[in-house]
Amino acid sequence: MTVRSSTSGPDAAGARAAVVSAPVAGRARGWLHTQTSRRLAFGYLLLAPAVCYVVLLVGAPFLFSLYLALSDATVGDPAASFVGLENFRAALETDVFYTALRNSIMFTVVAAVFKGFLGSTLAFLLLQPFRGRKFVRGLVVIPFTLPISISVLGWKWMYDSQFSVINWFLSKVGLIGTYGSADWPVWLGQPHLAIAACIAVNVWRNFPFSAIVLLAGFTSVPTEILDAARVDGTNFFQRFRHVVAPMIAPILLIGLLFDTVFTLSDLGVVYLLTQGGPANSTKILPVLAYQVGIQAGALGRGAAIALFLFPLLLPLMILLLRNLKRREY
Amino acid sequence: MPARTPRQKEVRRHLIIYGALTPYIVIAIFPIYWMAITALKQDPDLYRMDQFPLWFHLSPTWKNFSYLFYNTNYGAWIVNTMVIGVWVAIVTLLTAVPAGYALARLRIPGSGNLGIAVFMTYLVPAIILFLPLARVVSLLGLQDTWWALVLVYPTITIPFCTWLLMGFFKTVPMEMEEAARVDGCGYLGALLRVVLPVSVPGMLTAVIFAFTLSMQDFLYGLAFVAPGDQKPVTVGVPTELIRGDVYYWGSLMAAALMVGLPVAILYNFFLDRFIQGITGGVGK
Repeated sequence: MTVRSSTSGPDAAGARAAVVSAPVAGRARGWLHTQTSRRLAFGYLLLAPAVCYVVLLVGAPFLFSLYLALSDATVGDPAASFVGLENFRAALETDVFYTALRNSIMFTVVAAVFKGFLGSTLAFLLLQPFRGRKFVRGLVVIPFTLPISISVLGWKWMYDSQFSVINWFLSKVGLIGTYGSADWPVWLGQPHLAIAACIAVNVWRNFPFSAIVLLAGFTSVPTEILDAARVDGTNFFQRFRHVVAPMIAPILLIGLLFDTVFTLSDLGVVYLLTQGGPANSTKILPVLAYQVGIQAGALGRGAAIALFLFPLLLPLMILLLRNLKRREY
Repeated sequence: MPARTPRQKEVRRHLIIYGALTPYIVIAIFPIYWMAITALKQDPDLYRMDQFPLWFHLSPTWKNFSYLFYNTNYGAWIVNTMVIGVWVAIVTLLTAVPAGYALARLRIPGSGNLGIAVFMTYLVPAIILFLPLARVVSLLGLQDTWWALVLVYPTITIPFCTWLLMGFFKTVPMEMEEAARVDGCGYLGALLRVVLPVSVPGMLTAVIFAFTLSMQDFLYGLAFVAPGDQKPVTVGVPTELIRGDVYYWGSLMAAALMVGLPVAILYNFFLDRFIQGITGGVGK
């Protein structure tokens, strides 16, 4: 697209000029040509550092991880030999892999539902004009802006087996007994509670993100268009269905995709809260890949497990790519 | 029932909105309040389930904070984090500013696709890259120093900031550069003398993101830097301050909040740029 528009312009001008006077055309063409090529050379020079960095430290490592996954490389032994699909086969033969895969998908889907609900209702409230809106917005986005390993520590303390403040509340309102009673929840020690606890942290951290993405979507709908639709006699639902929804759908999709990618590939929450336990109940693919690849030192195995995330991520990335392209032009 | 004045209606509307917002604010803020009060409590005050836990029963103390600086590597971690941030910001500016400018202004063939391609690398998750990058890091002899993080954090910040700055440069009026070029500046001269000075806000935003995005990382810091005094604060606090099964919650929360809150507040001011950035609406 850009190629044609930038070169056909001067050429066409040159061709037109040639009809008038040949020597002038020759000079004009040469000047324009060097001007264009100088601009492009300068452009590529400016692009080179960023592109090289990304190619060398994202592109090459990605290909290298494919190679690692096909080799028997370990942390201690750098000389790896090719083992084909052995690592993938080995992963598929362990039960813990399926547990991790199932937990990863379950974690992501359940968290997305809660984030969607909390985020959209919050966005709706923040859309109303009221005093102190900026301040309230600033308060509710703090979970998202706090560095993740920092806030997870706070949650770990809130989930303490004995001095959990959550249990203090539950105990006070009479939902559970006192410490030591049979219904005293040990949040990070009981399988079902542990996964719920991890999901809760992810939801807490990211629901403000859903809300602001939605808010950005809503505020991007020009009021003139809504007013015009109102003048045309549409009701609220018609306006929402035919005006608001199509306009915010792309932004919403982008937000959802980002959130899904980050949730699927996040190690921090689960690693710091439970390390995948108890009894693998919170084992997700990133945790398994880290434990196998770094802690057990089986680089090849770990890379293979991490790469199982890729087929889950790829469709999301393609969707995002198409969406961004549409917005670009 | 007496008719309501517009003012009363307005007050009522506000009350309803505030009421509805309260649960969200409580959910968002409670963990942070809990961390703050834990950090300021004396130890015996922490472990009493018979008392109201959300307030002090013994006088507040700064002991947990001073403990960090005298008895742990906390000071070193903060310095590491700052120095890493500065280097990442420098690398990011030196690469993303030229790239963003070239993509936005120099009419390079396929620049739209190229911009998207660079941005998409932001989405390749660390969990896929960290094992091969561990190899790269040890090949360069950077394992076990924070320089490893200076090397890898730009893989997160360059794609994002290039994209952000590309949007930013699209909003700078074109005529100024052209005028500068007509006046005899070359392309480089126009960039250095005309474009850069008006792009300071965009570059400042890029610097902020170099800091905040690298502080959101946990995996790279965990995997690449083992010595206690080389860690960034976001990794040092959760890995080094927990000794065995004993948790010193007071100093842990103090350590967490002292870095967490300033970063959160700073990030807060730039959050709209972040959202604009990822939704592709930069400069529109």
